[in-house]
Amino acid sequence: MRKILALAATAATIATAMPATAADLVFSSWGGTTQDAQKISWAEKFTEKTGINVLQDGPTDYGKLKAMVEAAAVTWDVVDVEGDYAAQAGKNGLLEKLDFSVIDKSKLDPRFVTDYSVGSFYYSFVIGCNKDAVDACPKSWADLFDTEKFPGKRAFYKWSAPGVIEAALLADGVPADKLYPLDLDRAFKKLDTIKPDIIWWSGGAQSQQLLASAEAPFGSVWNGRMTALAQSGINVETSWEQNITAADSLVVPKGAKNKEAAMQFIALATSAQPQADLAKATGYAPINLDSPKLMDAELAKTLPDAQTASQVNADMTYWAENRDAIGERWYAWQAK
Amino acid sequence: MLSRTDAKAAGSKIPAGRLTLTDFDLTLPALGLLVLFFVVPVAILLARSVSEPVPGFGNYAELLGSSTYLRIFANTFLVSGLVTFVSLLIGFPVAWALAVMPSRFASVVFAILLLSMWTNLLARTYAWMVLLQRTGVINKVLIGLGLIDKPLPLVNNLTGVTIGMTYIMLPFIILPLYGVIRKIDPAILQAAALCGANRWQSLVRVLLPLAMPGMAAGALMVFVMSLGYFVTPALLGGTANMMLAELIAQFVQSLVNWGMGGAAALVLLVVTLALYAVQLRFFGTDRMGGR
Repeated sequence: MRKILALAATAATIATAMPATAADLVFSSWGGTTQDAQKISWAEKFTEKTGINVLQDGPTDYGKLKAMVEAAAVTWDVVDVEGDYAAQAGKNGLLEKLDFSVIDKSKLDPRFVTDYSVGSFYYSFVIGCNKDAVDACPKSWADLFDTEKFPGKRAFYKWSAPGVIEAALLADGVPADKLYPLDLDRAFKKLDTIKPDIIWWSGGAQSQQLLASAEAPFGSVWNGRMTALAQSGINVETSWEQNITAADSLVVPKGAKNKEAAMQFIALATSAQPQADLAKATGYAPINLDSPKLMDAELAKTLPDAQTASQVNADMTYWAENRDAIGERWYAWQAK
Repeated sequence: MLSRTDAKAAGSKIPAGRLTLTDFDLTLPALGLLVLFFVVPVAILLARSVSEPVPGFGNYAELLGSSTYLRIFANTFLVSGLVTFVSLLIGFPVAWALAVMPSRFASVVFAILLLSMWTNLLARTYAWMVLLQRTGVINKVLIGLGLIDKPLPLVNNLTGVTIGMTYIMLPFIILPLYGVIRKIDPAILQAAALCGANRWQSLVRVLLPLAMPGMAAGALMVFVMSLGYFVTPALLGGTANMMLAELIAQFVQSLVNWGMGGAAALVLLVVTLALYAVQLRFFGTDRMGGR
């Protein structure tokens, strides 16, 4: 959904590059409950501390970001983007280098730190299942790809991004430490076997709706969405076996008008307490290593942090380099 | 654009001489806005289609040389054609009924039509999802009645797109048709009956030919609008039913490949303009609203 809504915004930006008010900081994210939580956990704290007003904008749109940088009319100061995009955009010169004299990276999860980006929060693709709708829930990626043992529709993330291809390869028996470079031929062959049974979800809310209504009683979903479904009283089961982590990142577009304030904002957003607050509100994991200590033990247990035993980390560097090629192939395959 | 003869025929006050810029002075603000916010950005995007990543027509060669993209073009036409056909099939009887029913009933039907048009597109599309999905209302009722054992696949496929888009396009076919049908003198149908035509013959040989301008105008409008449709196919169709507008969005936003996005946009624009030219050539602007 976020991409659909973003379309209008892209068109508008290509046409016009509107100046932002210099005194305010503009933060763009993906809308919905996640951005609401970022506003409360980060932006309001930042305004309290520095007196700088934070304007919320969004949804994040990579076409729009590129248009802003090219037109040298950047209205976003801090942007929440997907981790693989951050790595790629940094290489392509669309981002400012982060100032690590302002941002303390010693406490940040090094998996999600680059010269141009730090983690925003991280999440896992897990196997979610509506227990009331089926006799048995799939436990592993192999189960999720087994339509004989587990008949019915399954939900998968629609966009080309880390997660689904990895799941297909793991299901096909590729060992977790041999995933990269991704064997795309093998992955698409495996995906072909369940293609008619896939319902694609394009945003988190849709994945919840699919599982809750049993339209697709199970699927590969973001862990935070399962936590939220469970809280709303739906009998869901989450299998963390080989959960695949990916992260959102915070970046500063090249030529941002309030670069210094942007660095301060990122410093606050990635510090321990605001990260803990965000995790509490969203069910996604903090990227600050000190945050779990500040959280309720019960809650900390439900985060990807506590599920490292069989965790698989999507390789953002690999994705950054191959994002375009994989994307083209992905969408061509989907359209077949 | 009105030609001079049209203007005269319509009894317009536009002088018969050559039209000058001052004849358009009141439209200048609107034209300026269009040029600034539509023509210029579209031109920039189209220019990128022949300059990115390297100058030349590589993007067009890739677009028209790939079976994947050709399938998306074909699907775009298939969906638009289907939607137009079904809209006509459903819209014609409704327009006819509207034209002949007492005006106080007609105004209720109009209110329903217009209310549906004014309701948010996303809300309407999501409503269809709830109705059509495997665990949705329609399938539950049919299974409850024992008519089917397994849920029918009504959404995430061609059926879903056709149903959702037809529903959205219906007013655009009913309104022009209504205008045309209402102007048909009922006495003509009586005359047909008196001359021995049965109901079928009056429909096929009298009513349909007379209503043809409205049908053609409505059908073209629906077809052209469908070609560029985005939200409904994205939500109710599967990835195998992707339409051109979705492809453009994918190029621009997900792949950030503006060269290809521009090329696909130009193809869509050319097709749309060609159809629009056909419409102008055969029906003129004055028939478009069914007046």
